[in-house]
Amino acid sequence: MALLERNEWYDIARDTNWTPTYVSQENLFPPTMSDPYQIPIDEWETFDEPYKVSFREYVRTQREKDGSAYSVKAALSRSRFYDQACEGWASVLKLHYGTVALTEYQACQFQARMVRFGPSPSMRNMATFGMLDEMRHAQLQLFFPHELVHRDRQYDWAHEAAHTNNWAVIGGRHAMDDIMMCRDAVTGSLMVSFAFETGLTNLQMIGLSTDAANMGDFTFSNLITSIQSDEARHAQLGTPTIEIMVRNGYKEDAQKILDIAFWRVWRLFSVSVGIPMDYYIPLEQRHMSFKEFMHEWVNRQYVRQVEDLGLAKPWYWQHFLDDIENHHHCQQGGIWSWRPTVWWNPPGAVGPKERQWLEKKYPGWNDSYGTYWDVITENLLADREEKTHPECVPIICNMCQIPISNRPGKAWKARPYQFEHEGRRYNFCTEPCRWIFTTDPNRYKDHETIVDRMYSGEIQPPDLDGVLKYMGIGVVSEGGRDGYNYQWIEGFRSAAAE
Amino acid sequence: MTDNERSNSVGPVLRTGEVADAVIEAIQEDNPGRKFVIDDKVSYVRIETEGECIIRKETLSKYMGRPFSITELELDLTSFSGRVETTDNQIRFFLERSL
Repeated sequence: MALLERNEWYDIARDTNWTPTYVSQENLFPPTMSDPYQIPIDEWETFDEPYKVSFREYVRTQREKDGSAYSVKAALSRSRFYDQACEGWASVLKLHYGTVALTEYQACQFQARMVRFGPSPSMRNMATFGMLDEMRHAQLQLFFPHELVHRDRQYDWAHEAAHTNNWAVIGGRHAMDDIMMCRDAVTGSLMVSFAFETGLTNLQMIGLSTDAANMGDFTFSNLITSIQSDEARHAQLGTPTIEIMVRNGYKEDAQKILDIAFWRVWRLFSVSVGIPMDYYIPLEQRHMSFKEFMHEWVNRQYVRQVEDLGLAKPWYWQHFLDDIENHHHCQQGGIWSWRPTVWWNPPGAVGPKERQWLEKKYPGWNDSYGTYWDVITENLLADREEKTHPECVPIICNMCQIPISNRPGKAWKARPYQFEHEGRRYNFCTEPCRWIFTTDPNRYKDHETIVDRMYSGEIQPPDLDGVLKYMGIGVVSEGGRDGYNYQWIEGFRSAAAE
Repeated sequence: MTDNERSNSVGPVLRTGEVADAVIEAIQEDNPGRKFVIDDKVSYVRIETEGECIIRKETLSKYMGRPFSITELELDLTSFSGRVETTDNQIRFFLERSL
């Protein structure tokens, strides 16, 4: 029996709209869950997904993708790669799995919201595949690290992180609750499908795959690019949504939604991808800097896609360009200093050769970030390891939940950007984080940072041991130490001896 | 960081392998006369042409040496620059607002 070509039946098959008679349209699709802009249904029916797939095709393709990912894993598990991999690479994996695996289940729930409440039948159809995609991603990224848990308990954070109040997890949760878990289907599709999945996931899932291949970890390289091949399809949910909003007079809303989500995800990615790329990957395998990957994926590819839809770069673009040069360098210093609070072993890894590389990729690094590491190096060379641990708690941004910081050097520029609301003073790391708060203070006002929780009495006892336990350190696994046991300072010792 | 050089380059980003090799051949045949750039990044390869980039099922099947559907391309298509449009017979990357 001859099969019809897909395009001969596709439009009929995906059109599942009907006229409800038992309940009102508004009860069936409540604006707070579906479309708060109340764009007419016949407008939503023009939603034409750019990347079409039938269920039959979907199942066949996904089966093949999974078959390939699992067989590469099975074949390479006979190699001794993970026995021999350096601690820097192990930290990349622990950070990746801990922050990503269960976030995929959140993404699955968000896709499910579009499946049920998406105002367009095509959107609901496409999101059904997206929902199944995200379930696959969660399961893969729980299964792959599972075999590593017996070597090193820190890999268990793949499954446990989301159930803890670790400071890094609180940051991720705050952003994902904001853009994925607590948004209507239309707003969320711009935030997740476009700003997050079209804009930034490429960095983590494709950019990092180059580093993985250079490291020889083909299991991981193959895994994350397999995941991204799903994203490339379901991320296309965003494009027609933006077109419909712009056409119906909601261009400014669309712009604001993208600007909020892009900044929120960027702040997380600069830490979770920026630091590994520029510090954890051993120098010999580091072919491109984080900044160069950002240039390729965001400044060239994503911005062009935004502009082609009639929207503009975010208003904070100059802040963003500065942030690419700075934020992850600040946070590498911070995370390394507070290393007992994380579930991986962050390498300092700023020996003489690494510093040359950083100076080349980020001109001025030595005169700024270098001065911070000079003090640390001096203390380590003099066997004063205890002086490399900070005594005080940082000030945490009330939006991104990451310590407030800025470029060090001769001028000390770190300062909080403050905002008073209903008698409470909030501190923010940057103008964009403060701006996001002001767009909807009621949404954000009750959240407490990890440091707020120490002062409010939620964390008991409010000392280092109490806060570590609260964060799951010593509970799920031991906390972090320097990934290379300070070997990276030896280059300075031998230089001094000469 | 200075701002980007903006361009009208569009095209697929594929995992390296036999599909990517066939796509490189097919794009050159399906997009005659267009400026063509390949950027090999070990685990992935970025292929870009100016303004529009088409890959036809027939051409791709020829270089794969077997019948190959546009949907199967998804196995290795991890991203793309520009916008996308798929039909049974071809996949097209394009921009609506050229510079």
